Amino acid sequence: MPPAAVTNLGYKPPDGGWGWAVVFAAFISIGFSYAFPKSLTIYFKEIQEYFSVSYSEIAWLSSVMLASMYAGGPISSILVNRYGSRPVVMVGGLMVSAAMVLSSFGTTIMHLYLCVGVIGGFGLAFNLQPALTIIGTYFQVKRPLANGLAMTGSPVVLFTLAPLNQFLLDSFGWRGSFLILGSIVLNCCVAGALMRPVNKLSHPEPDNDSEKYNGAAAEGAATEDSSTQPADPAPEEGQKERNGQSQASKFIDLSLFRHRGFVIYLTGNVVMFFAFFAPVVFLAPYAKHQGTDEYSAAFLLSIFALVDMFIRPITGLLGNHRWIRPKIQYFFSFAVSYNGVCHLLCPLASGYEGLVVYAVFFGLAFGMLSALLFEVLMDLVGAHRFSSAVGLVTIIECGPVLLGPPIAGALVDIFGDYKYMYYECGILMLVPGIFFFIMHYYNYKKLDEERRQSKTGEMGTSEEMTDQ
Amino acid sequence: MKLLWAVSALLLSCWQTNASTAPNIITEPSVVSNETSAVLTCNLTDLTLHIKGSHWTHNGKIIEESESTDPKAHISYSLDKITYQTSGEYECVFLTDPQVKKTIEVKTLPHVSAYKHSEHGNENDKGVMSCVSHGYPLPTDWVWFKVADDDDTVLPISNGTNDRFEIKSTPNKTTLTINVLSIEEDIGYYKCSGTNELGTNSDKVHLRVRSRLAALWPFLGIVAEVIILVTIIFIYEKRRKPDDVNDGSAPLKSNSTSNHKDKNVRQRNSN
Repeated sequence: MPPAAVTNLGYKPPDGGWGWAVVFAAFISIGFSYAFPKSLTIYFKEIQEYFSVSYSEIAWLSSVMLASMYAGGPISSILVNRYGSRPVVMVGGLMVSAAMVLSSFGTTIMHLYLCVGVIGGFGLAFNLQPALTIIGTYFQVKRPLANGLAMTGSPVVLFTLAPLNQFLLDSFGWRGSFLILGSIVLNCCVAGALMRPVNKLSHPEPDNDSEKYNGAAAEGAATEDSSTQPADPAPEEGQKERNGQSQASKFIDLSLFRHRGFVIYLTGNVVMFFAFFAPVVFLAPYAKHQGTDEYSAAFLLSIFALVDMFIRPITGLLGNHRWIRPKIQYFFSFAVSYNGVCHLLCPLASGYEGLVVYAVFFGLAFGMLSALLFEVLMDLVGAHRFSSAVGLVTIIECGPVLLGPPIAGALVDIFGDYKYMYYECGILMLVPGIFFFIMHYYNYKKLDEERRQSKTGEMGTSEEMTDQ
Repeated sequence: MKLLWAVSALLLSCWQTNASTAPNIITEPSVVSNETSAVLTCNLTDLTLHIKGSHWTHNGKIIEESESTDPKAHISYSLDKITYQTSGEYECVFLTDPQVKKTIEVKTLPHVSAYKHSEHGNENDKGVMSCVSHGYPLPTDWVWFKVADDDDTVLPISNGTNDRFEIKSTPNKTTLTINVLSIEEDIGYYKCSGTNELGTNSDKVHLRVRSRLAALWPFLGIVAEVIILVTIIFIYEKRRKPDDVNDGSAPLKSNSTSNHKDKNVRQRNSN
């Protein structure tokens, strides 16, 4: 039986060992990327008074930072394709650190926008993409678990940074705090140092079992490998294949737009992201609107964050299970739909107990979705093209992410009632969920067909070779 | 001449009719000053008016418990405890056509409280302290003092004391701004005191001045930690690298790897 040239990796990922140190490093990087912009909101009141600006002007700071983080995606991808994850993360950490230190000496709000917003945002982008990419290079069999663990960084870091920021603000004022935050963020460089490039040449043998785990990525592999290399295992050709692929992916891989799975993922995500963050943003205001006091409303967010924190690794474990892994796209579709149902049912929650129940279910939904978000993309496009894929996805998602909360807020203002906003979010989640179910059913069928075709093709060529 | 007399007679009668509505209500007491409790009563003397009901208002807002549809001419409202929250202007309103009402003022000492009891400022930056007052009547005079270290003597501050100090006062709020904070001179307790016609009350604010360099030490500490960790990680990696090379990963060993692959191909083809 010829070795199936289906592993598009060309080597066997360690699936452990140093990989767990890399997961920890990714945990830190991803945690800072997502939690840092959110935790800065604690300083807004003092900065607003200091510079005498309006609340919307100061809220722009978070938006600029988030926008830069998403817009920097493609640049980050190009750099990762070229130089690997480690240098990019270290440079990213240095950038955010320098941005915070510079901004602590800022004299106008424009200074803050430029330093914290633009430079800081780009630095965080240089942290996010490489962290996600490197997990794909170290893990194949246990990849959903690794992804789930790494994505847990976001709620954990947020949980830690929020009270820490409050303490820093009280002790040192906002300028001193920014200075100290600059040094804390420098720990991303430590995370980068841990991201040792995986040793590709120590495990040259492609693994037949990986066919099971490649799932949808097999499509890309089958078309690429069958064109560049029949079942010939000569190392020179193997190296040529690797060189050929690295030439193409030196810059950004725009051929992804012809990749069926990628297009499905992108379309669904663009719609879904409109409703992704808005419910989190409005959870506390909705609770206050229902009449609960400030502390109980804040406690709801803590419940949500705690549930989120625990469900992400659990989702990773579930995604690894042999029943779910091959059809992980369905699991993702389920997570998206579940989010939608959760939001649609929220207006039925009455009283504080109802809101607590909602917060728990929402935490479950949000955590599940976040843990799987990048795992399914890796599953669709494969580890080689993941770096470019995530760059393209983040820059296109930039729009919905930024517009989502303001649109939801506008709905609340127009109708004076939060339930329409929850209906909107619910529908914007449920429709992509159902879309994903249908499209992935179709996609899996197509992939099975292609795999059967490529197998019969390979059998034919190898028979020719043995005859020779 | 006759025209002038007619106009003045008209004005006089108008004034008299206006003045005649005022004495319709007798209030008892007319003003409450510095009491702990009181009972406010209003007596409508003009019995020709048809009373549909009555209520009391406090500072313009209707007191819901006092609303009544009883056509009583003598109504009362009792204040069990007079504090700065219950002081103010009370009006008894009779629901006649047109409405008639009269005001009773309930006055107390001003309630002065600091907006924040502990304020922070950065060295060479500005520091702001505020006091607010509630109650009725609002203070007409605000004075700031710096409390000396022995906690007894106070030094009055006014706009002229020092060009670094600025005081801005409105009846319900006063703000003391110190423009260039210095650690030696400005740390300590400040007292704001507000005076109205009944008396004076005050509160204290503690000002802390942070040194510019205060945040520098944690910053340097954490940067040092990061540098040490990164160095350790890189050194560990350099020392491990020779082990990895022996596993057959070096490019020089490609011949042996190709041998492995050929062997495997041969094995598989033989199946």
